[in-house]
Amino acid sequence: MEKGKARAKMADHVEADNAEAIITTIEQKSRKIESLIKQYRPVEALKTALEGSPPKTRDERCKSANWIAVHRALMAIKAVDLMFSNLDPEYYDILMKYLYRGLATGDRPTCDQCLKIHEKLTQKAGLGCILRALSDTVNTV
Amino acid sequence: MFHQVGCFVVTDFNYENKMTVEEFRGYLGYNNEIDRYLIGMRVLAVDDDPTCLKLLDGLLRKCQNQEKARKCMWFAHDNAVFAVCWIKCKRQIEMAAIAVHQFADCITCHAWSPDQSMVALCPNNNEVHIYKLVEENWERIHVLQKHDQIIVGIDWSKSSNRIVTVSHDRNSYVWNEEGSLWVPTLVILRLNRAALCVQWSPKGNKFAVGSGAKTVCICYYEQENNWWVSKLIRKRHDSSVTSVAWHPNNVLIATTSTDGKCRVFSTFIKGVDAGKPKKSGSGSLDAKFGEQIVQLDLSFCWAFGVKWSPSGNSLAYVGHNSMIYFVDQVGPSPLAQSVVLRDLPLRDVMFVSEKLVIGVGFDCNPMVFAADGTGLWSFVRYLDEKKAASSSGRYGSQFTEAFGKFYGSSKQGTSNDKGRAGVHDNCINCIVPLKKSESTKMTSFSTSGLDGKMVIWDLKNQEDLVEYL
Repeated sequence: MEKGKARAKMADHVEADNAEAIITTIEQKSRKIESLIKQYRPVEALKTALEGSPPKTRDERCKSANWIAVHRALMAIKAVDLMFSNLDPEYYDILMKYLYRGLATGDRPTCDQCLKIHEKLTQKAGLGCILRALSDTVNTV
Repeated sequence: MFHQVGCFVVTDFNYENKMTVEEFRGYLGYNNEIDRYLIGMRVLAVDDDPTCLKLLDGLLRKCQNQEKARKCMWFAHDNAVFAVCWIKCKRQIEMAAIAVHQFADCITCHAWSPDQSMVALCPNNNEVHIYKLVEENWERIHVLQKHDQIIVGIDWSKSSNRIVTVSHDRNSYVWNEEGSLWVPTLVILRLNRAALCVQWSPKGNKFAVGSGAKTVCICYYEQENNWWVSKLIRKRHDSSVTSVAWHPNNVLIATTSTDGKCRVFSTFIKGVDAGKPKKSGSGSLDAKFGEQIVQLDLSFCWAFGVKWSPSGNSLAYVGHNSMIYFVDQVGPSPLAQSVVLRDLPLRDVMFVSEKLVIGVGFDCNPMVFAADGTGLWSFVRYLDEKKAASSSGRYGSQFTEAFGKFYGSSKQGTSNDKGRAGVHDNCINCIVPLKKSESTKMTSFSTSGLDGKMVIWDLKNQEDLVEYL
């Protein structure tokens, strides 16, 4: 018997019936993202999409749903150079994971945009950010 | 011929003589007059020709980069009015690296003798080379050959002067110095995978070996049979044990593994450890052998390099995801902190004091971490200023080229990018403390890496770090 587990342990994974709740939240988020994009505030749309990303769930549908929302926000960003002045550092790691998901799609416009953002994000966040995105096989997006 | 620069300097600089660029530079750097440039002294250079002042500025900047002129740091600030520039002597910045030596093409690991006159290292093969510093030169005095495969761990016991080596050949030898020879004793570890790391316990009566067999071997000497016995901790680890570290109480041991977790076990052995150990502050010590005290799930990828603080209250270890983890009050309810690293991952860490940790790794430059008054750990700076200044947050010429190809646009290499201009050229994978005696504060340590160099560092001249020592 273990004497005591550390307080800092991984959160338990979400069960299947919670996945529906998560997908509903994501749908609400998508509406908010659409409205922000229409108001020409794509960076905030991206923040909304990245917030509450469900990486702790194993359910592929949740991840796909969130990816669609993030993808929408990413493609709406025109001025890649300026986006990082508004984006907080806490989002860098999760954004990098989504960038790699985008690069993996192979779709030309997505990859172009993701590559441009990857360049700027690496300059801003450093190589450690890439390391964290690649080495984390548990919390994938 | 260099244009005469009118210059007021608080020394005997005879400005009436025309000087060539070399002579001027020589004046500043190469003769003993340099001692007259007191730290904090201001020098005013006046000239009617702004070009000359710019030349002077350039000269002085070059001087600051040369080793001999490192006693002064100069910078010139152009003030457009009347082409006057102020030159102010800044505080000297001492290099932290005090000695560098290239021992081999690649060093896997190293360890110092108890009196720190000799160093044992593995030059990436199946031998241990022992070098001694004889009148400023390192001479190889012994070669220990017994292992069949690469030696990945060497430790030299302070109390008993014994060397323990472990290798990928699943064996371990304890070497005793008899006269002028080192005599090996085989330790049967009962492993079916490679050994990965080793450390003597603080009292020198046990040593721990982490292995790829997901086990930790605790070995102790049995007097009656005159041999080393190994007891295995088989449970708990889901993957290779990459690093082991002994708590100062000689019973607890911390391990890191490629399953991302750091665990603390008890290694109490009847007959070796005195009686029933009394309960002390951290962790409960009346646990039996192999019992897990704490498991830390902070990392999701490989973990390396665990070390205890000098008091045994804190732990630090690194993850391959460019993070470093600090754990205080190790026990049933530990306080964990994760510090995110900007650049490449670390491979090993070391506590200099309770509040100062040095991490070494793939950045080829030791990183300093310190805890402030509230116990919050954070990254302070790189130790090798020359490297840190020249790379200025970029990644060195190899990466810039690679990124250039990746992004498809041509990236011009930055002009101050001389590649690896620092002390280490390649990954540093081993850091060992150098402590003269138990009473003195530790300020110096040595690092070795895949470039085959061993560098000795000293922190006592690093003014911004002295408060943490």
